[in-house]
Amino acid sequence: MSGLMEYNGSAIVAMAGENCVGIASDTRHGIRQLQTVSCNRQKTFQVTDQCYVGLSGLATDVQTVSQLLNFRMKLFTLREERKMQPRMIGNMIASMLYEKRFGPYFTEPVVAGLDGEHKPYLCTFDFIGCLSTAEDFVVSGTTAEQLFGVCESFWRPGMNKDELFETLSQCLLSAADRDCLAGWGGVVHIITPDEIITKKLKGRMD
Amino acid sequence: MAAVEEPQDYLDVLQSHRGGFSFENCKRNAYLASQVAIKPPTAMKSGTTICGIQLKDVVILAADTRSTCGPMVADKNCEKLHFIAKNVYCAGAGTAADLQHTTEMMESQMELLRMATGTQPRVCTVVRRLSSMLFKYQGYVGCALVLGGVDVTGPHLFQIYPHGSTDKLPFTSMGSGSLAAMAILEAEYNENLSVEEGKKLVAKAIRAGIFNDLGSGSNVDVCVITKDVGGTILRNFEKPNERKFRAKHAAFPIGTTPIMKQEITKLVSVEEDVVMRD
Amino acid sequence: MQTSLHFCCLSLKSTDCDQIQFLRLWQHCGRGSMTDSEYSFSLTTFAPSGKLLQIEYALNRVAEGRPALGIKAKNGVVLATEKKVTSPLVDEKTLSKVENLSESVGMVYAGMPADYRVLLRRGRKVAQQYYTTYRELIPVSQIVREEAAIMQEFTQSGGVRPFGVSLMIAGFDDSGPQLFQVDPSGTYFGWKASAIGKNHVNAKSFLEKRYSEDIELEDAIHTAILTLKEGFEEAITADNIEIGIVGADRKFRVLTPAEVQDYLGEVE
Repeated sequence: MSGLMEYNGSAIVAMAGENCVGIASDTRHGIRQLQTVSCNRQKTFQVTDQCYVGLSGLATDVQTVSQLLNFRMKLFTLREERKMQPRMIGNMIASMLYEKRFGPYFTEPVVAGLDGEHKPYLCTFDFIGCLSTAEDFVVSGTTAEQLFGVCESFWRPGMNKDELFETLSQCLLSAADRDCLAGWGGVVHIITPDEIITKKLKGRMD
Repeated sequence: MAAVEEPQDYLDVLQSHRGGFSFENCKRNAYLASQVAIKPPTAMKSGTTICGIQLKDVVILAADTRSTCGPMVADKNCEKLHFIAKNVYCAGAGTAADLQHTTEMMESQMELLRMATGTQPRVCTVVRRLSSMLFKYQGYVGCALVLGGVDVTGPHLFQIYPHGSTDKLPFTSMGSGSLAAMAILEAEYNENLSVEEGKKLVAKAIRAGIFNDLGSGSNVDVCVITKDVGGTILRNFEKPNERKFRAKHAAFPIGTTPIMKQEITKLVSVEEDVVMRD
Repeated sequence: MQTSLHFCCLSLKSTDCDQIQFLRLWQHCGRGSMTDSEYSFSLTTFAPSGKLLQIEYALNRVAEGRPALGIKAKNGVVLATEKKVTSPLVDEKTLSKVENLSESVGMVYAGMPADYRVLLRRGRKVAQQYYTTYRELIPVSQIVREEAAIMQEFTQSGGVRPFGVSLMIAGFDDSGPQLFQVDPSGTYFGWKASAIGKNHVNAKSFLEKRYSEDIELEDAIHTAILTLKEGFEEAITADNIEIGIVGADRKFRVLTPAEVQDYLGEVE
């Protein structure tokens, strides 16, 4: 455990449902395995009404990138008097990250949102801005491998917002149980055409 | 990482606003690596099998669709065939982010060239631009490309290595599965193949990579470039690795997960009056 | 020294590469030897009346240029211009005045051709930058804002002169068909129909009479030709005018001489 990506620990997962999309993250902020600094860390950020960005990786870069994103989003809305669609946000993040190809931020973002036709849009990046989209689910963080496993078997097409919440939370909790760097509580956002449902999950505290 | 100069005056600032790569984190990252002894992470790679063949008046490219991050499959159905111009496409292996953005950059350059000259870009132009760019970055931009296209001078197929060397070949393969693919191409390539036979051949070569190289997997994407139509990508031309099962168990009952707190934000749509401003 | 400064600033603004090094060289070796008064003035200084005379002069230059006009229809926009050459020996096929800025946006000018090309190159680059960042075509309003920003910069920078062109920019995006005019001062307006260049006052009043809100693109092309014809001194042909259109397909394109000939036939 000596990588920058593993320094603070994080688990982020986003899933598509029927006309809804969800994103969940753990809340631990630790320093390697030695210390847990806080269990109320924000790792998912609302960028537009119907789009969230999850940022995993080095906590300092998570904060910096979230602020940069906030800046770009606000400037865009002021300039163009319109909202960015999730697809555009994804491409913008990819170019923001790749600009720092040779001096990167150590964070791997996840974008989850509903587009103009209420269709889910999901994508994830590596830390230098390789964008990959998915129809079903995307994961990021130190728990990525565990999350891939559980999501492969628990995700199913056509989930409604309640089913999506249960699947998302169960995947997050069970994956985080097998990652000593992430966990300590979770937060789930379900984005539907007319509401955002945010639920806080109780996690193991060990 | 390279040492970075601090901005000294307004010209430096001007320079830093000219686009291109930003090196502002280099110093910090070098510090983290040396003082705190934490190594930087690895980027997403495509292990990849890509190949291309040149026939009488058509070029066919093909690629697998697996992208990996170490031993982990990061994307099961990614796109490795990239659009550069209507008549030039390329297949890429190497660092995924570099491939995506280098080809996008080339696409943009070719569009500017097309508008400036009013002519279709030539394949050799793209190759020359790519190879000088890759050479400039001394292999740090990790793009291994099979690039093909049809222009006024006919069909052309090139391969380009990350350090900027290029080859013009009738058939070629690249990536970790290139040996498997090349075995097929060497045995069966013939310049008199029809387009359909060509598509079958490249798909077979990629399949060899998919099944014999662990860095390659999932589906076969094919791209056919002809003089009249330009390029058409046949996404998931073959799907030899469809998932054989789907979870049959019931969904989690509602209320399975205990929650501590719930917040619901209602979204309301606001009808905005359009105001003309002067 | 003064001349080289002019050269540098111009190249810088036109995104030409490597001039920074040159400017830096100038900065290091030349700055000390010059007195303030030699370069602390600008060509665009307010006259006591509050006018910026250089901008007025630039507008005069535009008003001397070959006429160009644009009409926004219900389902598209048309740009048209006169492309008369100074000598019968000039090969007019090598000239093009209506050009694409991006796939969905096109532009035409009145005034100085060389200045136009700077703005054209810059505009195309901006459009491509936007596309590579967002993977979406740049909205018309944004590319207009960028062009206007460049033109404004040249009314307030040292050692430069304003652009001697007015632009008509037409495009089709999520907000529908749009037509903008940008002037040397950097001001821009959205128009239903407008004209620039020689006789623009007459052309505008002609357009005012002919324009209606629910005009179709085809009719707008006819109106455009008729408006050009008003100010034409000799016979109008497919070779001495140029027309660009953008429709609901969001593809801006310049009509071929054959297509222009067809429209000319319809008008007569």
